[in-house]
Amino acid sequence: MRWGRIGKKDADLDRELRSDLDLEEEEQRENGASPAEARFAARRAFGNPALIREQTRAIWTWNGFESFTSDVRYGLRGLCRTPLLTFMVVLALSVGMGLNVGIFSILNTMFLEPPTRIDPASFVQIYPRYEGWFAGAAQSSRLNAEDFDAIRTQAHSLRDVAAWEQIGISLDDLHRQDSSLLVTCNYFHVFGMERTLMGRFFLPDECQSGTETRVLVLSEHFWRNRYASDPQIVGKVLHINRQPFVVVGIAADSSANLIPGDVWMPYTLQPAFNHGDSAFQNPNSAWLNAAARLRQGYTRADARAEIETILRQRDRFYLEQRTFTLDRKTSVVLTNGSYIEDPAFQTVAAGLMALVMGPLVLVLLLACTNVTMLFLSRSLVRRGEIAVRLALGAGRGRLTRMLVIESLLAAFLAGIISIGLAIRIPSLVLATLDPQGQFSSAIYPDWKVFGFLACLVLVSAVLSSLAPARESFRFDLVTALKGREGSVTARTPTTDALIVVQLAMSFVLLAAAVLFARMPSTIEGIDPGFETRRLMTVPLEVTVPPYTNTSAIAFHRALEARLLALPGVQSLAWASIAPFRFSPQQEVHLDNQSAGQGHAASVDKVSPNFFSTFSIPLLHGRQFLNSDASAAGPANVAIVSQAFARTFWGAGDPVGKVVVTTDRRRLVVIGVAADTRSERYGIVDGPRLYTLRHSNSVDGELFVRFTDDAAPLARAIEQAVKTLDPTQVETPVTIRDFLETNATQIRALARIVLFMAGIAVVLAITGIYAVLSFVINRRTREFGIQMMLGATRESIFRSVMKRGLKQIAIGLFCGLILAFPAAWSFARMTKRGVLPIHAFDFSVYCIAAIILLVVSICAMALPGLRATRVDPMQALRNE
Amino acid sequence: MAKETPQRNGLLQGTLDMLVLRTLLYGPAHGHQIGKHIQRTTNDFLQMQHGSLYPALHRLEKKGWVVSKWETAPDRNREFKYYRLTEKGRKQLVVEESQWKQMADAVASVMWPTAEES
Repeated sequence: MRWGRIGKKDADLDRELRSDLDLEEEEQRENGASPAEARFAARRAFGNPALIREQTRAIWTWNGFESFTSDVRYGLRGLCRTPLLTFMVVLALSVGMGLNVGIFSILNTMFLEPPTRIDPASFVQIYPRYEGWFAGAAQSSRLNAEDFDAIRTQAHSLRDVAAWEQIGISLDDLHRQDSSLLVTCNYFHVFGMERTLMGRFFLPDECQSGTETRVLVLSEHFWRNRYASDPQIVGKVLHINRQPFVVVGIAADSSANLIPGDVWMPYTLQPAFNHGDSAFQNPNSAWLNAAARLRQGYTRADARAEIETILRQRDRFYLEQRTFTLDRKTSVVLTNGSYIEDPAFQTVAAGLMALVMGPLVLVLLLACTNVTMLFLSRSLVRRGEIAVRLALGAGRGRLTRMLVIESLLAAFLAGIISIGLAIRIPSLVLATLDPQGQFSSAIYPDWKVFGFLACLVLVSAVLSSLAPARESFRFDLVTALKGREGSVTARTPTTDALIVVQLAMSFVLLAAAVLFARMPSTIEGIDPGFETRRLMTVPLEVTVPPYTNTSAIAFHRALEARLLALPGVQSLAWASIAPFRFSPQQEVHLDNQSAGQGHAASVDKVSPNFFSTFSIPLLHGRQFLNSDASAAGPANVAIVSQAFARTFWGAGDPVGKVVVTTDRRRLVVIGVAADTRSERYGIVDGPRLYTLRHSNSVDGELFVRFTDDAAPLARAIEQAVKTLDPTQVETPVTIRDFLETNATQIRALARIVLFMAGIAVVLAITGIYAVLSFVINRRTREFGIQMMLGATRESIFRSVMKRGLKQIAIGLFCGLILAFPAAWSFARMTKRGVLPIHAFDFSVYCIAAIILLVVSICAMALPGLRATRVDPMQALRNE
Repeated sequence: MAKETPQRNGLLQGTLDMLVLRTLLYGPAHGHQIGKHIQRTTNDFLQMQHGSLYPALHRLEKKGWVVSKWETAPDRNREFKYYRLTEKGRKQLVVEESQWKQMADAVASVMWPTAEES
């Protein structure tokens, strides 16, 4: 309807203009001009009909849309005219966007999405925040059983409240730890897991307090991986912590975004995993995470206010009853259940996303610069065309819009292709990072992913078309119309700058790749200064309660006796700081200093045979003796590390000196131990003070020194531990294996970073190659003239390469400037971690620079060689 | 290409509409006649630019101040698109005229002050 009207009006206007033009012509003829003269005069007087038509049309149509469609048609024609260039553009953009969208969809599912896919709007996760109560309560976001019951029974705004506790279990007595959730029976319903693949979920009476029906539900992926999709699994008995449980169902993976557990059991079984000590009876135990569904008509704010009121009442009740040693003040945060909204995880998740997306955005920017360069070279070729369009009266704004729409079309095409890539990438990445396939749930792109993609399309189209559009108009109209532009204009500051930008960005990614690629071998190759292959850590979970002091000591004694009886075990040692884990620092000062004047040091409480078990050489003085510890009170002797001695006494002899710790113990130094590298990989530890561990202490880490093969011994130690306490689920591992596991994880990460850097370098190299070959093609005439004037082929090659080398140098320099702040902030972020990241590790930058230098010289040399093959006669004849 | 005339640049925004409406007060006319009439009456002082005349005519038509119709010219055997003033256009002309008068008076009182004011 509308179109027909516009078409008719168009014809009408044409007719009007023509008839008036004819009239003008007639008048000129009547004035005595010849027919030809009259026609020209009329046209001169009339002006540019195309422009008039354009301006008039703008009055009566919704002009934007009409010209938009014609611009789209123009853009499509332009893209079809140069299929190879279009192919390159679309390829570069779809790789850039596909990577971004693919990884973003993983992050989206992991961090941004609520855990459920069924009616996520009504899902809320409840995070109580406490003031007072117990030490560490400020970090806790869990409820005790009584508070949970209060919310469940009193909150009108919630129609279903579920709770769970995550615990580690030992399933089927295998040499590994599995993750399990103790859940309320409505857990599956609240999380939108409405159907089982087989069997059933828990029955309501299996969650009644007092029942101890030992049943469990397995997740679909766990059942597939561990039990090879055994169709007869329902009804079978599995052993958890050596106790029998019956499988009642398999939960389908498809219903939830992220399934945090593999095995679910009714939460009423909690005492069975805690030596019979029930957390239901203990109001001091905040152990339940809670989530709920909003009742129809209530908002999250309503529910928050209501839950807070309920918990405040509980606070008052506890105050009256004097249940807690400290007064408790509770407030509540309700979230949609995603990680990014989890108050404790928020900053970490945001940081991780920035860390992952940063390099990816660089890759996309590289793709955009590539496309910019391709469009730029085309805009130079098309100057003639654009000059004609300008001469015919097209406005510059309109022409710019045409060019932007053209690249928008290319970006749109790439966007569609990148959806395909984006669906493939998550599974590839997850397969690399998680070869066992523990991360189960499929990644579904949702509106956030598509919104992100749309932003990428828009941004990349605009980014990659602005420079070419600007370049299109930087010429002299008359010269361009004659088609005799000087070759000097072929190479503009813009292309030079783009080459530099590409080199700089790929340098940053390459440096990151080198950093990550070297990390695993660094970790495996380090010499920490103590034994790693013949030393095993025995992780124990001995807390009071459920243990009492007496039972914990008894457990330790019994375990020590059993372990020493195992064949191959040489010695046992206890220490309070485990290697390659976070070690807290405290202030230690000399006896003639007051508190506050000392230095920070890590204090390791060790058993007497620690140094011989770890093979840490004693440089000076004597070892701890068993007699040191036999005294009734805490022993007042200490051994210091070299770094400690250097910090406190310089070159002086520390033996016999006295140091004071934060708990005001005065310790006499009896020896100096060699420095170790046990806090961060490959870095010598700071000052360390070894004090003697009290033999009746219930905390600390247990280490076993052995002589023979590690694997059977690890198994034997695990059996010994589980025989004494079946709830112990962690497995012994040698320090060496611990390092290698770490290295393997980092290697998987490094592979992904390397892949991204590889793509970045390929993009940069093809971009540089394309631009240089184009420029050299355009300069053929110039080279011909130079040769006629006596330039040799070598001198031409040299001049081309000299210019290229200058750009490489500038690019690398800019890359360094870009990389330094990134490396610095990354190093700062990982300062407390064990990975040694030096912001100013020049070997990393050197390797990256050399790689980039070599490949970019290759990319420049090929077009450079082509320049030397110019036949001067041929080049000048083409004029 | 179009001639650059000083009048074109000096022509006040909105005056063209008034001039066109005033011209049509004599009766219906087509684009060429309107242009020629304005040019002739001002002794070629205002040279009508087609580039602004046609957009102006279509703008006036869109606002409903003029209507157009293809009609055969009385002296020629040919159809032209004749523009005719509407009642709404007539009112608009009065409004624009009085506005212009006020404007001209205001400018004049600054430029050529009368005796009693100085």
